[in-house]
Amino acid sequence: MPQNLDPATPSLANAAICSIAASLIPEPKNIAFIEADVKVITANESETFEKFRNINLGINRTEIDIKFELEMSSQKKKNFQIEAFKHRVVVDPKYAEKTWKILEHAIHEIYNHNASGLSFEELYRNAYNMVLHKFGEKLYTGLVSTMTSHLKEIALSIEASQGALFLEELERKWTEHNKALQMIRDILMYMDRTFIPSTHKTPVHELGLNLWRDNIVHTIKIQTRLRDRLLELVQRERSGEVIDRGLMRNVIKMLMDLGSSVYQEDFEKPFLRLSADFYRGESQLFIESCDCGDYLKKAEKRLNEEIERVSHYLDAKSEVKITNVVEKEMIESQMTRLVHMENSGLVNMLMNDKYDDLGRMYNLFRRVPNGLSLIRDVMTSHIRETGKQLVTDPERLKDPVDFVQRLLDEKDKNDKIIHLAFNNDKMFQNALNSSFEHFINLNVRSPEFISLFVDDKLRKGLKGVSEEDVETVLDKVMMLFRYLQEKDVFEKYYKQHLAKRLLSNKSVSEDAERSLILKLKTECGYQFTSKLEGMFTDIKTSDDTMQGFYAAMGQELGDSPSLAVHILTTGSWPTQLTTTCNLPPEILTVCDKFKTYYLGTHNGRRLTWQTNMGSADIKATFNKGQKHELNVSTYQMCVLMLFNNGDGLSYTEIEQATEIPTLELKRCLQSLACVKGKNVLRKEPMGKDIGEDDTFFFNDKFASKFYKVKIGTVVAQKESEPEKQETRQRVEEDRKPQIEAAIVRIMKARRVLDHNNIVAEVTKQLQSRFLPNPVVIKKRIESLIEREFLERDKDDRKLYRYLA
Amino acid sequence: MNKLGRGHRDKVHQFMTITGAGEKAALTVLKASDWHLDGAFDIFYRQPHAKSFIDVRHLEELYNKYKDPYADMIMADGISNLCTDLQVDPQDIVMLVVSWHMKAATMCEFSKQEFVGGLQSLGIDSLEKFRERIPSMRAELQDDQKFKEIYNFAFGWAKEKGQKSLALDTAIGMWQLLFEENRWPLVDHWCQFLQARHNKAISRDTWSQLLEFARSVDPTLSNYDADGAWPYLIDEFVEYLNENGIIQKGRMKEWL
Repeated sequence: MPQNLDPATPSLANAAICSIAASLIPEPKNIAFIEADVKVITANESETFEKFRNINLGINRTEIDIKFELEMSSQKKKNFQIEAFKHRVVVDPKYAEKTWKILEHAIHEIYNHNASGLSFEELYRNAYNMVLHKFGEKLYTGLVSTMTSHLKEIALSIEASQGALFLEELERKWTEHNKALQMIRDILMYMDRTFIPSTHKTPVHELGLNLWRDNIVHTIKIQTRLRDRLLELVQRERSGEVIDRGLMRNVIKMLMDLGSSVYQEDFEKPFLRLSADFYRGESQLFIESCDCGDYLKKAEKRLNEEIERVSHYLDAKSEVKITNVVEKEMIESQMTRLVHMENSGLVNMLMNDKYDDLGRMYNLFRRVPNGLSLIRDVMTSHIRETGKQLVTDPERLKDPVDFVQRLLDEKDKNDKIIHLAFNNDKMFQNALNSSFEHFINLNVRSPEFISLFVDDKLRKGLKGVSEEDVETVLDKVMMLFRYLQEKDVFEKYYKQHLAKRLLSNKSVSEDAERSLILKLKTECGYQFTSKLEGMFTDIKTSDDTMQGFYAAMGQELGDSPSLAVHILTTGSWPTQLTTTCNLPPEILTVCDKFKTYYLGTHNGRRLTWQTNMGSADIKATFNKGQKHELNVSTYQMCVLMLFNNGDGLSYTEIEQATEIPTLELKRCLQSLACVKGKNVLRKEPMGKDIGEDDTFFFNDKFASKFYKVKIGTVVAQKESEPEKQETRQRVEEDRKPQIEAAIVRIMKARRVLDHNNIVAEVTKQLQSRFLPNPVVIKKRIESLIEREFLERDKDDRKLYRYLA
Repeated sequence: MNKLGRGHRDKVHQFMTITGAGEKAALTVLKASDWHLDGAFDIFYRQPHAKSFIDVRHLEELYNKYKDPYADMIMADGISNLCTDLQVDPQDIVMLVVSWHMKAATMCEFSKQEFVGGLQSLGIDSLEKFRERIPSMRAELQDDQKFKEIYNFAFGWAKEKGQKSLALDTAIGMWQLLFEENRWPLVDHWCQFLQARHNKAISRDTWSQLLEFARSVDPTLSNYDADGAWPYLIDEFVEYLNENGIIQKGRMKEWL
């Protein structure tokens, strides 16, 4: 743009400038550029630019004047220059004083609400001129003293206000002051823009605020009164009164406008102090008079009130601070006492499923450090304690199904609490899991009981239950299973129970059986379930074999008793001591035929009869021609068949004829002769127990409503003490090779390892199945040393080396 | 000796003190090295020493004297005779040291090779020499390193052939014998404990670890570390001591 000012076309100069200026209006950013390049001229020409200036006021335009010195005389000597700017000396020595008087008067008028008669443009120009003529300092100091004197007056009127009117007066004056300040700033805008930045003085608006602060808010008579008044109102509101929140907001806003430090020093700090005292006192009061639930309700209410208060009339930054105060005084300082409160504390809430109270406690306690861990710890110890009572209560041990059901109920209960009250917090879920793991394993019979529970469910409990519900039950069982440390013990029992189910064909649903095995497989891997699956396969192939047998030998067999053989792979099934008994001749013939058939089709196999695991259906005719089908065990069948050939058999005779092991024989005679409604035999002398001298007769008078009579053996469903010992021992024996295998695996990889690390590694490797005892591990290590798989290092006796 | 000059006599003494060789052997070697001590040591240590200076025929005679009439080895009777001749009780622990020197495979037996070879390396070719050496052999038990070797040797020596472990009775006997010399105050408790609680054979590991235990853990068990990888039998022993109040709070009741 400067190139437009071509000296050869001077006549266009003015027009050019005007057009520049006009074009500048929408593009204010260019102004600085022009100002820098175009030089400014005399003051007396300024009038001609009056209009122009007015236009530009809005965009902070300063004067643009140009002077051209034209050399008109000669065409050849085109020599021109721009002269340096010259100040016009102010002639009137009282100029400054006069101008200031005008301005001072205007300020007075503004404060007196008489501003309507003032010419803004004139005042602006005056102020502008004063600055321009180097009277900025005078103008500024004048402003300060005038404003100060006005504020002092205002202060007096505020001080004079009575009681409740004090804040209102303050608020009113503050609003007025703000308005006045706004006008004054507009008038003095030029000073604000040029004089103040160059002299590093406080801008007018800020100055106004500072003066207000120093002359009003921080005067002795107002400062404390203001603070006390504010705090008093807060307290009143806390005690339930309705206060003028708008007024509060405006006054607080004033403090904030005066700077964050003013807000903090004059209000926030004392406010927090007061609140801390207040809540300290209140928490004391509540804790003495309320129970835990009520206290929490009150604390929650207080907390919400404070948050609400902040949103209504405090600085948003205060929220954290005041909530901290409430949290600290109302929750943190009392939380231990709250949690342990007798009859209403955490334990009580847990016991009575007080979801609301628990949720409240969770939400409040999570706000303070260690709050949640306190809840967690108390909850953990509570669950452990109740769990321990549950699993060690001798009463509970009598009914394994009920025992497990109670465990499940306990788990459900706590799950629900965590879900409803504790936001499904992982921390609590973990605590719950570890607690269950802790106490379930306190009872060594837990694995057995869980297996019995499954057995019960799969035998009858799940009859007529929908598939999904079956899955739910099984999933719950799996969850308990996961807590078990001795998973191999569970496996052992599970195998036993499964075997019984399969052989007596008692399982409700094969799908459910398979589903559970699948779950176990996903949980523990293929090895864990391979034998269980083998058992299913055996049952299936047995069915096929029996079909084959009857197809091939059917005619030969005639009307001899029908036979169903289950061929069980040794190793897959729970090991049983083979105690064969003497089968009745009728049965023996069929059995032998089958044996021949089977061994003929399968080379190199051996068959042993497991008479202790079989069952039989016998048709019997009683005195009145009554016919019954008796469902009995193989042993019982052997005993009953004896009575076809004679009556009045003594115990010894029976024992000799059948060769059933004593204990088993007694059990089976007991169930044949001593159970009411099932007593197909009669015993002499009568009595509940079987003696060696007893004699047995066929009970002619036997009667039953049912055609089919199932004669169960008097079985101890739960294991008896010696059986338990035996199972335990078997488990221990089975563990040995597993531990040794783990040691060898580890040592093979590590070559050299010290004792503690081996123990740790072995434990880690095996913990998915059971928790190996360090002493046992040590013994296995010693055994391996003896068998020269390992040796001790010659120098460091704690170090073992692998001998390849 | 008397014929030798003073310088020579000193050298012989010096040589004998350092190498532990006999006077005769020392003289021979020193003469061979022209009375240079260094040279003599070289000769002495380079060749399987003493061997050349022992009359093997004497050893054969000695062997035949004690040999079992029905087998080519010295059996219990022969050893018993040998003990009588050596004026040593057959139960004396020094016989273990003798066996150790002979690298005997089994208790109460010396094969010909063991007997002859052993005496040869000891530089013994007569009963008198043998008898003379007994005290110094007994002294070897006081040397920790040698005792350890002898102790560990004893396991293989005392156990039944073909067995991996040592029968408890034998083990107890050996321990009582061994720790008689190298006194371990808990040995009686240990043996009582084994009879009461263990009653099974002792493995080599347990055997060798017990010496470590006896040496490194003080009798009040104050520095016993349950995680110290001790064989479980030793752990159980510690438990037994605590249970029976033999050790209480790092103090041993009847000890000291």
